[in-house]
Amino acid sequence: MLALDTLHGIRVVASPSALDAASWPDNTTVLRLAPDDVFVIGATIEHAAVIATADADAIIVAESGFVGCWLHNDALAEVATHIEWHIPTHRPAFAQGYVAGVPAKLWLTDDRALLLCASPYAHDLSERLKGSA
Amino acid sequence: MSDTPTSAPAGRIVVDGLPIPYETGDTVAVAIMRSGGHPKHGGTVCLGGDCPNCSAIVDGVPYVRTCQTAATPGLMVRRHPAVGNPSFPAVAQPDITRTPVTDHVSVSRASADIVVIGSGPSGVAAATSASADGHSVMVLDAHDGNEVVAIYGGPTVIVRRPEGMLHVHALRVVVATGAAEIHPVCPGNNLRGIVTARAAEQLHAAGINLGNAVSIGNAPVGVPCTPITGIIVRFEGSGSVSAVVTVGDDDVEVTTPCTTAIVGLGLAPRDMLSRMSGGLPVGLVGQAAEKFALPPCPTAGTVCPCSRVEVEDLEGVWARGFHELELVKRASLCGTGTCQGGVCGPHLRAFVAHHSGAEPEMFTARPATRQITLAEASADTYTDVFRRSPLHDEHLALGGQLDRFGGWWRPWNYGNHEVEYWAVREAVSLGDVSTLGKLVVSGPDAVELLERLYPTTVADIKPGRSRYVLLLNERGHLIDDGMICRETDSRFVLTFTSGGAANAEMWVRDWAETWGLQVHILDRTMSLAAINVTGPLAATLLQRVGLVDPPKFLQHRHDTVAGVPCHVMRLSFTGEASFELHHAADRSVELWRALMEAGRDLGIKPHGLQALFGLRLEKGHVIVGMDSELDSTPRRLDMDWAVKMDKPDFLGKTALVRTASLPDHRRLFGFTMEGRAPTEGSPIWSDGNVVGHVASSFTSPLLGHAVMLGWLKHTPFPERVQIDGREASVAQPPFYDPKGRRARA
Ligand code: FES
Repeated sequence: MLALDTLHGIRVVASPSALDAASWPDNTTVLRLAPDDVFVIGATIEHAAVIATADADAIIVAESGFVGCWLHNDALAEVATHIEWHIPTHRPAFAQGYVAGVPAKLWLTDDRALLLCASPYAHDLSERLKGSA
Repeated sequence: MSDTPTSAPAGRIVVDGLPIPYETGDTVAVAIMRSGGHPKHGGTVCLGGDCPNCSAIVDGVPYVRTCQTAATPGLMVRRHPAVGNPSFPAVAQPDITRTPVTDHVSVSRASADIVVIGSGPSGVAAATSASADGHSVMVLDAHDGNEVVAIYGGPTVIVRRPEGMLHVHALRVVVATGAAEIHPVCPGNNLRGIVTARAAEQLHAAGINLGNAVSIGNAPVGVPCTPITGIIVRFEGSGSVSAVVTVGDDDVEVTTPCTTAIVGLGLAPRDMLSRMSGGLPVGLVGQAAEKFALPPCPTAGTVCPCSRVEVEDLEGVWARGFHELELVKRASLCGTGTCQGGVCGPHLRAFVAHHSGAEPEMFTARPATRQITLAEASADTYTDVFRRSPLHDEHLALGGQLDRFGGWWRPWNYGNHEVEYWAVREAVSLGDVSTLGKLVVSGPDAVELLERLYPTTVADIKPGRSRYVLLLNERGHLIDDGMICRETDSRFVLTFTSGGAANAEMWVRDWAETWGLQVHILDRTMSLAAINVTGPLAATLLQRVGLVDPPKFLQHRHDTVAGVPCHVMRLSFTGEASFELHHAADRSVELWRALMEAGRDLGIKPHGLQALFGLRLEKGHVIVGMDSELDSTPRRLDMDWAVKMDKPDFLGKTALVRTASLPDHRRLFGFTMEGRAPTEGSPIWSDGNVVGHVASSFTSPLLGHAVMLGWLKHTPFPERVQIDGREASVAQPPFYDPKGRRARA
C-alpha cells in the first residue's frame, strides 16, 4: 500500500505576477495549482514575505492538507495504469486529474514523481493503489 | 451448406450441447456453417461483424458475434433462442444488485498522436502518411485482436482485446473501417441459406460447399454460383431457402430454385465510430467515408433483425406522424438493437427518403459499437469517493456508526443518540464539523463581492464578528447557508454546508470573475478540520485547555486551544453555547483527544448527526437540502428576517421583489405532536387531503413529544393537521429556548 504522508508547506493565493516574481528556497517543491495559487512544499510563511509586500491582500497560510509520496519508475508506471488522462511527457510537469477515481495531482520530474491528494482522500487513494508501492 | 472434408479437424467446439468439429482458421460461425447449421437459426449471414445474425452465447457471454470469434477447443456455444432474447444468467445470489462482480477485466493505457482504426488499404495509407509527417501512430484492427468498441472524449479510443481493455489517448483518430454489405429486406429474409457476397467468398475459401448457389446483384469472386438478374421479390422455403423470386424490367416474377442465395446488394459505410464522436477530432477515410447509393425503399419483410421490426411497423409509425429518421427509429425501435443500424440503417434511410422526398443523414451512434460485458464496461472505473475527516479513526474507536452525508463519512451516532443529546443539553459535547465548507476571501473588492452575493449587509460586520447568512441564486431560491466571519477590513472567512461547499465555492468564484472584482479566494475545506465544542459547560472545558477568555456569541478570533492554533468561532446550531475550533487537519486528533481528556469529569461525549439533527430541530434551524426545496425562497422558509430588502442590490433581489406581492401557497412550518416522531417524508393531512409533508422530525427527549418542520402546500394553511394518523399542531419554532439565552450564555 502507498504510504501517503502529510506534506507541510505554505499555500499562497496572490496575483499571478506576484507569484511569478517569487523565488523559493532550493529545498522546496513548488506546485502551481492555478495561476493565482501555489503550494510550496517545505516553505514557511516567512518565505512568502516578498509576495506579501507585492500583494497586500495575498492569502498566505500554512498548508498541511495534502498527503503524498514520491514514486519511482515502476511505481509510477503502475499508478499510470489507473490514470485515464494524458500524462505530460515533458519534465518537469504538473498535472491534475483523477487517479483511480480520486482527485489527485502529479508533479513529474526527470527521475521521479510526487503523487499527492487532499488528505480526506488519502485512505481511498492508498487503498485503490494497493500494489503500486 | 456442407463441408467437403480435406483434413482431420483442428478441434471441436460445443454448440447447443453437441460437439462439432472445426478446421484451422475457422471462426465459430464458419464452423457451425461447415456443419450445416446456422449460427442463429436464420437470417442473412455477412461474416463481417455488421449484423446480429451470428450472435450467440459464447462461454456464458451473450450477444457475441460468432463470425468474429475464433473457434478454440471446447468453446461452449449456445445459440440465442429463435424468438426473443437470451435469458439472464442464473446466479446463486438472487438479488442481482448484490451479486459480487467476479470477472475482473484489466485495463491498460497507451497514447499516440494518431490512432488509425482499420488496417485495410485506406488505413495503411493514412498511417503511412501520418508517420511520414512525424506523428506517432497506432493502428488498431479487430483482426489483430484490437476491437475498437467506442470513442469517448479526449478522444479516448476504447479497445477490447483478449487480455483486457485498452484505452488509447490520441490527438486525432482516423476511422478506416471500410463498408458493410447491404442485407436484403423482403419476405423470407429470415430463412437459412442467405449469405452476402463477401460471406460466400469466405465460406468458399474455407472449403465449404455452397451447394446449388445463385447470386443476385454483385456476384462473389471465384465462388461457383449461377448469377440471376432482377430485383429480389422474396425468398421461398421452409426453414431454409429453396428458391429466390425475382422480378425484372418486364414485371414478370421468376422463381429460381437454390440451396444458397448469395446477395451482392451494395455497400454502406461502416462509420458508426465516427457517428458517436461528434465534436471530436475523428475523421473517416476510404470506403467508410464514401457516400453509397441507398437501396430501394423496402416494401415488406424484416428491416431490423435485432428488434424484429417489419416494414409494416415502419409504415405504422409513419402513418402516426413520425416523419424524421430519429423519430421513426425511436417509435419503431428500428436501429436500437445490437447492431445499431448495421443492417437496417440503409433501409431505414431509404424508407424515410422515399416517404419524405429527402435523403436523411444516418442517426447518431452511441457507445459501444459491440456488446460488451458489464465487467468490460466497468473495468477500472470506481465508485465515488467519500471523504474522511482526520477524526475518522477516532470516531470508529469511540463506537461511531459512520455513514455517508454530503460527500463525507460522518458519525451518525456513537451507539445512543439520546445520551449524546443530553451531553449537549446538560454538559459538553464534541462534534466533528470538519466537513463544513471554508473559504477565505481577501482583497480590495471583498466587501463589494459579499454585499452582492449575500442578502444581508456585510459592510457593517466588524472585524472579529460574524453573521449567519443565506446564499440565494438569481431566482431568489436558497442554495446554501453559513457564516461570514470578518477578519480584517478586506479579509473574510465564509463557511458553507458540508454538502453545498463545492458548489458554493464555484458560485463565489464564478461571480467574482463575472463581476471582475479584485479578490483572492482560497478554499480551505479539506485543509482545515473543525471541532464543535457545544453545551453549557463548553466554555468551562475550553478554559481548561487554555482558552481563558472564549469569544462571545457571534465573535471569532485566532487563538491557541490545547496547544493547537485555532480559529475559534462562537455560534450555535445546537441551541447551546457552541465554539467551532477550525484548525490544521494534521493537528485534529491531538486536539480532539485533549478536549475529550479535559472534559472527562464534565461528562463529555461526542455527538453524531442523529443527535445534532434533533438538537437543531428543537431550535427550528433549517438544514439546506433537507428542509428546503430547490425553489425555496426566504419567504417560504419563514426566513425573511435574514434578508435585507433595503440593500441596494444582491443576487436574487429582483426575483424576490417581483414575487413578494404574488400569492404563495407553500410555507415551511413547525409542528408538534404527542408521542414519537413520524417518519421524515410522512404526508401531512387536513380534512382528508394531503396538504404537505414532513421534512424533519425528532422525538424530543427534553420536551417529551415530537417536533417537526414540514411543508404546507395548500392555502389557507390549517392550524391543526393529521400526521401518521395522529393530531398535530402548527407551532412556531424554536421549540426550545425561544429567546436564545442558552446559545448566548
Ligand atoms: S454474420 Fe457475423 S455479423 Fe453478420
